[in-house]
Amino acid sequence: MRRKGKKYFNGFFAALLGLTCALASPAQALASDGSSYVYDGYTYDFYGNAKESPAMFQLERTISAENMGGVALSSVDDVCTSADGRIFTVDTTESRINVFDENGGLLFTTRLVRTVDGKIALDENGNQIMLNAPEGLFIHEKEQEIYVADTGNKRIVVLDLATYGLLRIINAPAELVGVTQFVPSKIAVDLADRIYVVVQSSYEGIVELTRDGEFSGYYGVNTPMVSLTDYFWKSIASDEQKAQMAKVYAPAFNNITLDGEGFVMAVTYDSSASDMVFRLNSKGENVLRQEGNTPVIGDIWNMSSTDAGSQFVDIAVTDYGTYALLDRTKGRIFLYNFDGELLNAFGSRGNLKGEFKSPTSIAWLGDKLIVSDDMLNYIYILAPTAFGKAVLEGSESYYFGDWDAALVSFQQALALNANYESAYSGIGKNYLMKEDYKTAMYYFKMGNNRTFYSKAYNGFRGEWLERHFLIIMFLFLVLVAAVIGSEVRYHQQSKVKAKAAMKLLNSRRGREEE
Amino acid sequence: MKENAKEKLFYLKRSIVHPFDAFYEIRFRGKGSASLAVIILLVFGVLQCVSYQYTGFIINFHDLAGMNSISIFLTWVLGFVLFIVSNWSVTTLLNGKGNMTDILTVVSYSLVPLTCTMIFQVFASNFIIAEEAMIVYVITGVGAVWSLFMLLAGLCVIHEYGFGKTLVSILLTFVAAAIIMFLGILFFTLIEQMVTFVISVGQEFIRRL
Repeated sequence: MRRKGKKYFNGFFAALLGLTCALASPAQALASDGSSYVYDGYTYDFYGNAKESPAMFQLERTISAENMGGVALSSVDDVCTSADGRIFTVDTTESRINVFDENGGLLFTTRLVRTVDGKIALDENGNQIMLNAPEGLFIHEKEQEIYVADTGNKRIVVLDLATYGLLRIINAPAELVGVTQFVPSKIAVDLADRIYVVVQSSYEGIVELTRDGEFSGYYGVNTPMVSLTDYFWKSIASDEQKAQMAKVYAPAFNNITLDGEGFVMAVTYDSSASDMVFRLNSKGENVLRQEGNTPVIGDIWNMSSTDAGSQFVDIAVTDYGTYALLDRTKGRIFLYNFDGELLNAFGSRGNLKGEFKSPTSIAWLGDKLIVSDDMLNYIYILAPTAFGKAVLEGSESYYFGDWDAALVSFQQALALNANYESAYSGIGKNYLMKEDYKTAMYYFKMGNNRTFYSKAYNGFRGEWLERHFLIIMFLFLVLVAAVIGSEVRYHQQSKVKAKAAMKLLNSRRGREEE
Repeated sequence: MKENAKEKLFYLKRSIVHPFDAFYEIRFRGKGSASLAVIILLVFGVLQCVSYQYTGFIINFHDLAGMNSISIFLTWVLGFVLFIVSNWSVTTLLNGKGNMTDILTVVSYSLVPLTCTMIFQVFASNFIIAEEAMIVYVITGVGAVWSLFMLLAGLCVIHEYGFGKTLVSILLTFVAAAIIMFLGILFFTLIEQMVTFVISVGQEFIRRL
């Protein structure tokens, strides 16, 4: 009896194993290190319906404590990449910078900063320079520098990109005005060597420094949303009451990066901010293009009253303006092109490899995405799928005006996802450029792009009028002739009638005279 | 018979350009036609479906995949029926002189300008670009204002109200419509519960047998 039971048990397991294999076998999207996670993607159509779509990325590789060669990995708070394919991360808890190669092999790790020639560096007081809870870093390719936000020590440490040796230290600027404490968290450096420093919870904006570390001003305007009820109560409150009310502060920026044209792009997840994603011009105004079906806010529907919506912790921009936004509420990655059209959204929260628990940072490495998570302590390397490659190539060709290449890429994307409105629009724009208006109209209709449909129709109508000019002119002339003719006939008839009436009158008069 | 129909059509035309005179004739000399009014109302309902689907792509923001023509038709027609019924119930209490047929005639006749401009909109929108959409909207707007004016004038005449009292009665009409809708929903919910109860008793009965 017991043996029989065991046999059944074994049989059950064998069946279960077979079932798992059968289920697993169709999903051949295994990553190179054997880990596999297939994301579900979606986009929004013109009507705001979520349309299923293949995900643009799949998990290629994870970097975890196993890659660290015995060095602890406790939380990854910021990720940056250099042009030669190195991945730089900061570990806030361990106060370390870790550098990996593009396959996840550890190249360098330290918390103690050394000079360029390998000696232990000392600061002006003769102390060793130890990093303390750094939260951000930035690779400045132009000057071959690494900027590390040494948050705990309230300073910025600048290292050499090749040797990781100390170049200089930027301490809190003496001229810093306002109430903001100089606690650098995230950094970006633009092509003119201006340093932009994000201080968490600073409502005065991004701190802008010169290359020498002198304070040059606050940068960026982040307007808060004021609700109508608040406005009403404020308008009738007395001065004492107003003093007790919670002040509405400008929401802080939470992360920052630079796009290919040198514009600063920033995100905020403060719920009181009216914009969530910023592309700041030199005046600090938001000039982000939002020409897509949805505004650049990530998810457009709230699933319940407690659903906070998407909260972006980081942004990564390619040279061709396509940017990825990392949403910490639902663990999603949203990809937008430079026009603000949602290309794809994918990812979820959970404990599986490939899912996110507390995503912190995102960066591009070529056409791959590097995403870090500070609770799972993983760094994911996501590689584009066939669909993702087609879309990214299409966006790139489109951005640089390479219409024919864009057409090919968008057609590939459409072959993989027939619901993809932005690819239809892209193809339509190509035909519009070639003045093939009729085809363009078809694709704009499929892509629900009314603005461009109108442009294509304008061309189509112009051509039609030109082609049928003769017959239209002829019909018009016939109409004019008919109108004139009928007028003439009417006048003639009335003249005849008038003559007849006169005759009648005359004859009557004649009779009366008789 | 033919003469009669001609006369009715004449007063429909006249009500568009001289609403006060024409509605006076309709109210006091029986020149209106209830069947013509019903036809106009039905045509208006059908036109709404047509407009939903066939308005040009550039100004048509509807999701055609989710179109339900029966629902569109009934929403518009029953909406006007609701307006007529609640207007009648309000004006009966407020010394209005018009009866149900008069109100139906006024409401339907005054839809004619809007119907015409909407037909124009559906047609013209297929041949415009986005920059010209404003012209089409303005023309439709003119039709809507004209219709509204006819409605106000007609209600003034048939109920023998002043202008202010007409406005008040229309406001109260909406209140009455809301009450009717509330009662309707209540009625149907209760009926639904009763039906469910009877069905479940029946099922229980069948299973026990």
